[in-house]
Amino acid sequence: MALFAGLASIIFGAMAKDTTRERWIYGLKVFAEFMVIGLVLSWILYFIP
Amino acid sequence: MEELILVKVEHMQADDVPGGAWLTGLAAWFLPGLGHVLQKRWYRAILMGGAVWVCFFVGLGMGGHLFDLSSEGSWVILQIPPMIANLGTGALYLVSWLIGHGFADDPVQAARATYEYGNNLLLISGLLNYLNMLDAFDIAAGRKP
Repeated sequence: MALFAGLASIIFGAMAKDTTRERWIYGLKVFAEFMVIGLVLSWILYFIP
Repeated sequence: MEELILVKVEHMQADDVPGGAWLTGLAAWFLPGLGHVLQKRWYRAILMGGAVWVCFFVGLGMGGHLFDLSSEGSWVILQIPPMIANLGTGALYLVSWLIGHGFADDPVQAARATYEYGNNLLLISGLLNYLNMLDAFDIAAGRKP
């Protein structure tokens, strides 16, 4: 999941925004979102039989 | 009148795309990263193309399988969406198909703990390369700096 999040955020970050700084921030934000949403969903699904 | 002007501007924008941009897009699809290499965007080529290559080979290494139209037991139509995603990797998919590697979907392979991760990484690699392709096309067409 972290690998997927990292690779996807590299491409999303590189494609979006105009400046390098903005790209870094956006890439990190996308990475964090993937990780947090993935972990939250996995905990929700853990309790569902 | 405004509508007419808008339609005319849209036509002009579509006509402005140079033929080389389409070829760059095709190259970007065929070999991940090539579209940016052709435009001497080295960092983008390494980062964006590299991400697709890593995603693809890690997916294969994890035991994921690629989709084609030969289905066993399931409807062929259900194989089309994942196949379109896999086809995004261009030559990587075509070479795998030609050498017959990565298409096996046997129960032993499916029992591996990383099987589904591998499948998803293979799907994602193709989808990410479609984004690479669009990015390379936009740069070649002058729509992006």
